[in-house]
Amino acid sequence: MEGSDYYKRSSYEVEGAESKEMGKAVSMSAYDLVMRVLAFVLTLSAAIVIAADKQTKVIPIQLSDSLPPLYVPLTAKWNQMSAILYFLVTNAIACTYGALSLVVALVNRGKSKGLWTLMTVLDAIMVALLFSGNGAAAAVGVLGYKGNSHVNWKKVCNVFDKFCGQMAVSIGVSLIGSLAFLLLVVIPVVRLHRRA
Amino acid sequence: MASTDIEYKSSSTPPPPAGVDYFKVDVILRFLLLAASVVALGVIVSSDQTEVVFFQGTLVPQPAKFKHTPAFVYFVAAFSVSGLYALVSALASIAVIQKPEFKLKFLLNFIFWDTLVLGIIASATGAAGSVAYIGLKGNSNLGWIKVCNVYDKFCRHLAGSIAVALFGSIVTVLLIWLSAFTIHSRVPK
Repeated sequence: MEGSDYYKRSSYEVEGAESKEMGKAVSMSAYDLVMRVLAFVLTLSAAIVIAADKQTKVIPIQLSDSLPPLYVPLTAKWNQMSAILYFLVTNAIACTYGALSLVVALVNRGKSKGLWTLMTVLDAIMVALLFSGNGAAAAVGVLGYKGNSHVNWKKVCNVFDKFCGQMAVSIGVSLIGSLAFLLLVVIPVVRLHRRA
Repeated sequence: MASTDIEYKSSSTPPPPAGVDYFKVDVILRFLLLAASVVALGVIVSSDQTEVVFFQGTLVPQPAKFKHTPAFVYFVAAFSVSGLYALVSALASIAVIQKPEFKLKFLLNFIFWDTLVLGIIASATGAAGSVAYIGLKGNSNLGWIKVCNVYDKFCRHLAGSIAVALFGSIVTVLLIWLSAFTIHSRVPK
């Protein structure tokens, strides 16, 4: 028992220098701030692009062969589909979190290790939320692009091409933003791994 | 004494673990993720249903299969990956319990792969959820009719599978939290 206690004590002492390095790796750094700014900017622009996405087109609807077609103006907008609304909401949440965490990280430059853990925890939630929003919008986009012949859901992107293109851009930008959040969780841990 | 000195000089690992219990919870969570992935896969793969519907002018028996929709195909692929990952990492986690010197390295590896798998699973859940929601409610603006009033078994299976997938995503988030907390308790200020 005595021998193992001696082992424990001396390993703590000699590992002190290495542990301090690990502590520094955990603390906030320039990389962390840059990634948070990037995540904030990207999710904000994704939210803005999809919120401003609107296209109106006049569609001829043929009720029967004998009557002339009815010309109906139809608008494609984000509030018509729950999946796009969900995508917008998750990007908005991630954007506000990005701004708040950026401010907190700037104020608390590596002073508190508990803060790093809390931020990692919240970053992981943001990764999950953002990726699910991206998946939802992408699935609906593919459905609008290709339709689904088995259930008679006609494709709409041949008509509302500008809307679909802008939505694709928004999803792409949001995807890069979610990658930024993912890297925020992963890269500090990889650096710890290399030093350990 | 001499043998202890040699032992301590050759090892470059952190102090003996304070989080042995963390690893038991880790193993349990990984097996939960494996179970959730397997159940979600099983339920969605067995969801085929054929009904006689008025399709393109005539009454024909029309099947509803998960293969018809790219979102559900992606869902199946994503959860196959997650099931495999959960199995491999659960076994690795069990192996690491017996060899405490590799613990911190394994933890750090796990959090990286856990986050990747979380991204894949969350996007699959979101994709399947959104398509299933359109199937449930339809979309009058686009002329997409709802199908769940006809294909009730198909929709029930989808709902169950997506609910289990949501649970699996939460388990993965908990795994990342666990790794973060364990690193927090190991790395001194």
